[in-house]
Amino acid sequence: MDAQRAGMSVPGLQAAGPQPINEMFEADGRARPECARVIAYLLAMESTRLAELGERAQRMFQTMGVTFNVYGDTEGGERIFPFDPIPRMISAEVWTGLEAGLIQRAQALNAFVADIYDQAQIVKDGVIPRDLVIGSPQFRHAAAGIKSPCGVYVTVAGIDLVRGADGRFHVLEDNVRTPSGVSYVIENRRIMTRLLPELIRALRVRSVENYPAYLLAGLRELAPRGISNPTVALLTPGLFNSAFFEHVFLSQQMGVELVEGRDLVCVDHKLFMKTVYGLRQIDVLYRRIDDDFLDPVVFRPDSLLGVAGLTAVLRAGNATLANAIGTGVADDKGVFAYTPAIIRYYLGEEPLLPIVETFLLRDAEVRAMVLRDLDRYVVKPTGASGGYGVVIGPSATDEELAQARRRIEVSPADFIAQPVFPLSVHPTLAGRGSDGKAALVPRHVDLRPFVLLGEKPRVLAGGLTRVALREGSMIVNSSQGGGSKDTWVLEE
Amino acid sequence: MLRRIAGSLFWAARYLERAQWRARLVDVNYHLLLEVPPRDAEPWEPLVRITAEQELFATLHSQVTEAAVIDFFVFDKENRSSIRNCIEAVRANLSPVRHLISSELWIEVNRLYLESPRWSAQTLAASGVSAFFADLQRHFYTIAGIIGNTMPRDLAYDLIEIGTMLERPDNVSRLLDVKYHYLLPRLEDIGGPADLRQWAAVLRSASAFEAFRKVYGNAIRVNRVVEILVFDPAFPRSMRFCIERLAGALARLAAEEGDPSGESPSCDELLTLLRNGSAEKTIASGLHEFLIGVEAMCARLAAQVFDRYLSLG
Repeated sequence: MDAQRAGMSVPGLQAAGPQPINEMFEADGRARPECARVIAYLLAMESTRLAELGERAQRMFQTMGVTFNVYGDTEGGERIFPFDPIPRMISAEVWTGLEAGLIQRAQALNAFVADIYDQAQIVKDGVIPRDLVIGSPQFRHAAAGIKSPCGVYVTVAGIDLVRGADGRFHVLEDNVRTPSGVSYVIENRRIMTRLLPELIRALRVRSVENYPAYLLAGLRELAPRGISNPTVALLTPGLFNSAFFEHVFLSQQMGVELVEGRDLVCVDHKLFMKTVYGLRQIDVLYRRIDDDFLDPVVFRPDSLLGVAGLTAVLRAGNATLANAIGTGVADDKGVFAYTPAIIRYYLGEEPLLPIVETFLLRDAEVRAMVLRDLDRYVVKPTGASGGYGVVIGPSATDEELAQARRRIEVSPADFIAQPVFPLSVHPTLAGRGSDGKAALVPRHVDLRPFVLLGEKPRVLAGGLTRVALREGSMIVNSSQGGGSKDTWVLEE
Repeated sequence: MLRRIAGSLFWAARYLERAQWRARLVDVNYHLLLEVPPRDAEPWEPLVRITAEQELFATLHSQVTEAAVIDFFVFDKENRSSIRNCIEAVRANLSPVRHLISSELWIEVNRLYLESPRWSAQTLAASGVSAFFADLQRHFYTIAGIIGNTMPRDLAYDLIEIGTMLERPDNVSRLLDVKYHYLLPRLEDIGGPADLRQWAAVLRSASAFEAFRKVYGNAIRVNRVVEILVFDPAFPRSMRFCIERLAGALARLAAEEGDPSGESPSCDELLTLLRNGSAEKTIASGLHEFLIGVEAMCARLAAQVFDRYLSLG
């Protein structure tokens, strides 16, 4: 098999150390068993047809209007999320293990949130330092005393995984506030079923279409007690948000109203939306805006995105918010280092998924060690998401490193460091062949699966595979030039 | 349906109607002036008067020339009701309700919107004024056709209907009023060739010329023009036709309302006036007063619709 043509070769990584694996090929160039049929299929295609796959997919996205907005981009902020048509395969066996690990992790983080805003027993038992929790920029005093009817605070979790040199999936970070990207998973699949229908059918790929139904079921289970047919609504910050497309998509797929703050009003500790025929009570609000903007009475007084009095409604138990206020304390990048301990503490189990080694720079000794070899680490601000403010040691300039060093020394608690992790690579249609046409080359990928908690946990089969389209780049965020692939979890 | 969403549909419809109306006004006036050597010093002045925007116009232009009026009506970003701004408002209002309208409608409105920033006096001169407005009208008729043929007759459709049918009588009223009172003020000119040409232009502005010919034949008389534009039950741009349609849509809304507390907006007063009135009687007792009265009733109705179904306050 022509592994070279199928994008197996790995460009030399600047840093020494473990080399990334290729998701489709063993080190000796043999196709991995779950990928053999896809590789055979791709290599059997004429090079022109293969090269055209990407363009055909882009055209389909354009027609369907699948876009995202980029912050700070005033001129035509709508962009198409670049899509790579080469699917990422996950065997049934690997997925079964991942699924168990993801559920375990989401449940532990949920228990952590419930405890932190109640008795904070985990702090009293000395498992995690009190100041790390209270000092997290995502800790919300206002969340204390708000109870979820079925004990679920983290309804939706997006858990970012990366595959290491040993072939194992590691957790890179958790997203338990308002994780986004799931609409692309579903749209990617819709495109792929039109692009390569015969291949999908032959391989028996697990469906992702059930996600909106799963999400709606999970949200309905959150309804205050005694409500058998709850009204669910999705709260969006509006047209200019980067994920607005997804908000529209999910509300349509679930058949629930897409509301903005100005559509809502709180009366007598109840939440209502303003409809043509009068006020209609909302029982469960799936919010896609940050805590700070939810309720000007409690959080930022200048926010027009939320609705005054919402926190009081939640406290009275007359509506449930998903995800709950303050869940961000569980995806704080500092708390992340303690997640294996959190799993052991609440579930009494060993973590099924390892995490990427994480150093808290608030510790002087650790800090000294990291600063000695700063160019070998990835430095992340604890309070940011979306890849903003991340400094990647091996590819940073001297000036960038010096700046990072200064910032760490000024406020060490605001940063963590992780050794450069050799993200696996995947054949991607991002290169140029000798004929000038698109050709397969290896590019770094990660995986964001989505876990839903309700009366029972539900996991979307696969998740969003993000791919760094630039050669050598390990930044997969859509806001930073990343693209995505369809993720195919095979049936048993 | 959310009130914000309902309001978007309502305003999209109003702005669409307004844009089309203005395109027709300019187009008709342009062609009218081609036929006669201008003896009036400012033949474009009545247009500005029809839209009641003399003050804004005066701040932007020193003279009422053809170029100035076309600029003001079609391109001007400063004029909230310029055709370009109306189209932008239509698109902005339809954008959050894309899930409620057909994709064909969105695509057509978006196409017009994307085209509009390229309009200028130069492009208009290059394509020719006639061709420009003919093209524009085709866009509007396409949009109207798409609405009629792709949208289910549900609440969303009714809101578009309500917006359109509240905007249209207002425009007709202004057109009639200005012609009747400001054009040709000398008594001896009434019934003369210039007068008839102007009434024919009024009919054309309301796309009523051919309908008029079918009903009344050749002879243009003031009372017949008023009859077809105000009291005709069948002509789609007559005030009565609009208010009948409006009443139908409002009745459907009221019937759907779960909790009918308070009074629903009612067209009864207007309908009585339009069903029982005649052009002859109205002209005898004062057309201007009648039109002012109708405009006020329409404005009151619009405010009631807003308070009852659309307001977020």
